[in-house]
Formats: sequence, structure tokens, C-alpha cells
Amino acid sequence: MNNHTTTSPWKTRAGLPENVWRSIFRNPLPVSDLGRASTTFTNFFLHLHPVKVHRHSLRATYTWGLGLISFFLFLILTVSGILLMFYYVPSTTQAYDRMLDLRGTVAFGVFLRNMHRWAAHGMVAAVFLHLCRVFLTGAYKPPREFNWVLGVVLFLLTMFASFTGYLLPWDQLAFWAITVGTSIAGYAPVFGKEIRFLLLGDSNVGQEALLRFYVLHVAVLPVLISLLVAIHFWRIRKDGGLSRPPEEDEFVPDGILKASPALAAEASAAVVAQQPARAEGGELPGEQRRYGIQGLVKGPITKAGNVPDRSVFSWPNLFMAELVVFLVTVAGVLLVSVFFNAPLEEPVNIMHPPNPAKAPWYFLGLQEMVSYSAFWGGVGIPSIEVLLLLLLPYLDRKPGGVGRWFSRERLLANSLFLTFVVLNIGLIVIGTFFRGPNWEFVSPW
Amino acid sequence: MLKKKDSNEDQAQPLTPRRVLAWLSGFSLCGSAIITVFSNFTFIKPRATYGQPNRFSIGRPEDYPTGARIALEGRRICIVREGDQMAAISTTCTHLGCIVSSSETGFACPCHGSRYDQDGNVTAGPAPKALPWYRLSLAPNGELEVDKDNEIEVGTYFKV
Repeated sequence: MNNHTTTSPWKTRAGLPENVWRSIFRNPLPVSDLGRASTTFTNFFLHLHPVKVHRHSLRATYTWGLGLISFFLFLILTVSGILLMFYYVPSTTQAYDRMLDLRGTVAFGVFLRNMHRWAAHGMVAAVFLHLCRVFLTGAYKPPREFNWVLGVVLFLLTMFASFTGYLLPWDQLAFWAITVGTSIAGYAPVFGKEIRFLLLGDSNVGQEALLRFYVLHVAVLPVLISLLVAIHFWRIRKDGGLSRPPEEDEFVPDGILKASPALAAEASAAVVAQQPARAEGGELPGEQRRYGIQGLVKGPITKAGNVPDRSVFSWPNLFMAELVVFLVTVAGVLLVSVFFNAPLEEPVNIMHPPNPAKAPWYFLGLQEMVSYSAFWGGVGIPSIEVLLLLLLPYLDRKPGGVGRWFSRERLLANSLFLTFVVLNIGLIVIGTFFRGPNWEFVSPW
Repeated sequence: MLKKKDSNEDQAQPLTPRRVLAWLSGFSLCGSAIITVFSNFTFIKPRATYGQPNRFSIGRPEDYPTGARIALEGRRICIVREGDQMAAISTTCTHLGCIVSSSETGFACPCHGSRYDQDGNVTAGPAPKALPWYRLSLAPNGELEVDKDNEIEVGTYFKV
């Protein structure tokens, strides 16, 4: 003990809980703008967000929260997936029995499997809808071209993750969907057979394939997706936040801020430096009211000084919105999982393919095309579609129409895209509802 | 720091032993990285598989009466016998690997509706080529042997 202390040791330890708390969360719940800024800035999870966010980015009818929903579904999938891993064995003799165990002996086993399955389907759908939103609002235009490319890659990885997970229950549905799916890969030019062999680890779907798909599903793909999601998020900020129409950033002569851009940047840097020294609740006067390092960040957001401040603090506006989207996503998955059970068919019987043998619904468009021509339907056309999606922001260099749904300036681009979407959905609908035994045309009614 | 140095002098720099060493070590470091990546790829490609062997015995010719079309489902082949002529026809659909079943006119695939005639020639559907025929031979012990690595022309029978 320190000899100079006159107070009792108990007294100095009285604040222990509070001291621990304050050492973790450096700011109390903010009551002032400065507090809101530093709370966002000093918390690891919150600092991924900007201190202030443009009002336009918070419009629910602009984004529909689809990117967030995709991310939260990925979180749900990670948690439920890790839990399922505690009971799953990737072995052809045990996998199916483990599925039955989830049903029979594991507490909440069916429920977790349902959550994992429906969240996976939901993620494929949400990522696709997110892609549609970004296209229809022209948000892939400069400077966001590369983030679009990352998004397309994430979409493909999501499909692949879902596809690899499909085999794991080792039931009839799984076995034949993967037999068909990997045969499609075999039609790729030059390396097709090689890719198929590497994927399956054998010439047919069997134990090796199950093990390989398991490793891809629980390790390789989640890590890749996490990494790309991190870059995707990081790029949102580096590209100047979410897209918005240019008039949202227009100069207003009577603007709130009058400082020159250079001065403003300097001021904001200075504020960052001063922040810790400032007393909580101290409002900065007038022109200096700028908390954050936006002024130091290169890129289109650096318009400080000559634009009206149409942004709001992330705390609480953005965080509350994110929380709501998260809770709605979780609630949605829970609700679906309570009422609908994930399908589990007969155990694998190599002798008897089900008739018809169908892939997961999001691949049924592909399967429908494959029924006309294996190469063109399974490899040719999908590759062209993916290539067009990847190159889109570099092919469409026409500026304008950014930040609004169905902008008139983008009538042609949007019509082309919607045609392409409707065609693909049409193929999925035909493959799902209109194909019966031997892949013959049947009426669902 | 940023003088004219890098634009002009860089290209004209003499090849000193120091620079040669730097280049050499750079190459070898990159080389080892490439070898690492290459070894990873060869690692994940199995050299031995644990599935079924591609060469196997199917019993004696007497087990197959004339006119028989017997599908050995586990082996994914169909044994056909007409008089003293025998053949082993694959039952793996050439389209996307489903197992075809025997139908009145030949074979039918349940996955995408491909149809084959009795000899395995495509009659309908998306299948790109006929069902392969495999070489049959008589082993010294009097049993028939199928070699799935050895595809023969459609219609080439084996005389028992």
C-alpha cells in the first residue's frame, strides 16, 4: 500500500465496479454532440461507423436495410452453424444419423437446424435483393465501382457456401443435387474435369466429397466471406458513404458552415486532437462544430466547409436503425423456424435417384437451362452473366441517375437489368413448379 | 527526400554486386512462395481415391441368360447378353451424372429427361453423347471382368 494514502483502502476501492466499467466504455451515455462523437469514435464496434451519417443514407425506403439484413443473417448462420458443428460428423455412415439425432435427442436441435437452413436461404435472397437495390439506384457508379465488384464476388461466395452446406445432411436431396451440381462444373472448358475432381476428391460423390464440402463450408468459405465483408464495409466509408443524389450535397449560399474547406479540415483535425482534453458536454461554438476526421479523409466526402450539414450523428440515429434491422432479422428467422421445418429426405441411396432430382431452389433456374444444354445452360450463359455483372461499372460509364430508385436517366440500364432478373426468376419458377418426373413439363394445379 | 533521383538515376544505375544480390534474393523468395502455392494445389488433389475400383469381376457368363439386361446398380453398369454376345453399358447419364433406369425403349434419366435406346444412343433430351460401353474380358478363372477405364465403341460386343 502507498504510505501517503490517508484514506482507508476500502474507500479507494469503493468505486471498483464503476472504474472497471469506465475503463471499458470510456464515455458515459452521451448527452451532447461531443459525447455522441466520442462515443462512436472510442468504441471498437461503433468506430466502424462514421461519427456522422448523411440523412439520405438513413432512409429505409432507399436501402430497405438489405445489406444489413444480409450481414445479420451471416452472423446468425455463423452462430447456429458453430452450434450445429458440436453434433455433426462429416462421415457418410454417421451424417444422416446425426440429422436424426438433432430431431430426436438434442435440445432445440430441430430448431437450430431450421434457423441455419432458413437463414441460409434468406441470405441468398437478401444478397440478391441487395444487388438489385444497388443496381436500380445506380449506386455502382464511380467511385463505388470496386465495391460493386466485391459485392458480386460475395454473392457468388454466398451461393457456393449454401451449395456446399446442401450436401452435409447426406440425404437423397443433398446427394443428387450435388451430383448434378458438380457435373455442371465438369462442363467448364479446359479445367472442368479437373475442378470436378478437386471438388469431389474422387470420381463420384462419396466420403471424400462430403469431407471436402464440410471443410469448405465451415472453414474456407466463412473466412473468405468475413474478409470480403470487412473490405466491403471499409470501402463504403472510403467511397464516401452510401450513394445519394448529387443535389443532397449541393452548395447552398446561405449554408450553415462558412469556413473555407482548407480551414475546415484544419479545424476538424484540431478538434480531434483536442477532444480528450475537452470537458464532457462542452459544445464547440459555430464554425468549429465538427467532430471527426472527415476533414482528413481523402475522397468525395471531403466537402467540409461549403456544404450545408445534412448529416446527423450516428449515435443514436444510425445505431438505432441498425439495432431495429438486427432485431427484425432475428425475429423473422425465429418465426419461420418455429413454423417450418427444414426438409430431410430419405438417407442417400445411390441406386435410386429421386424423380425428379432437383437442386436447391436458387439453382433451379440453372438446372432448367441445363436441361436444354449442359454446356450453355450450366457454364456458358452463367459465366457471361457473372462476367457482365463484374464488369458492369466499367461498361456503364454514363454518369447521373445515382441515388434514386428507377431514375429516368437510367431507364435503359434499369429495363435491361429487370429483364435479366425477370428471366432468371422465370426460369427458377419453371424449374420449381412446372417440372415433374423425368423433368417433364407438368402443371402445378 | 523526393529529389530528381528516382526519375533519372534509377534507370541508369550500374549493376552493382549489391543490386545483383538483391535481385537474386528477390527471385528466390518469390520462387519459394510460388512453390508453396503449387504444393498446396497438388496437396489437395488426391493421388489415391477410396471409392470403388474401376476394374472388377462380375461373375461367370452363365450367370447371365440370353436376352438378359441386368443392371448392376452399385457398379453403375448394365450387363446385356444376346446369344453369345455380351456388353457392359454404363448407367451413368452422360448429361449430369444421374443414374439412368431401364425403360421399355432403352434407358431413361430421371434428372433432366434424357432418353437412350437399347444400345445407349441418345434419342431425346440434353445428353451430349451416348452411354459409354466398357471393355469386357474373360479372366483366367472363368469370370467376366469389366474395365471402366477402358471405353470401347458403342456396339462392340464381347463374344463369350
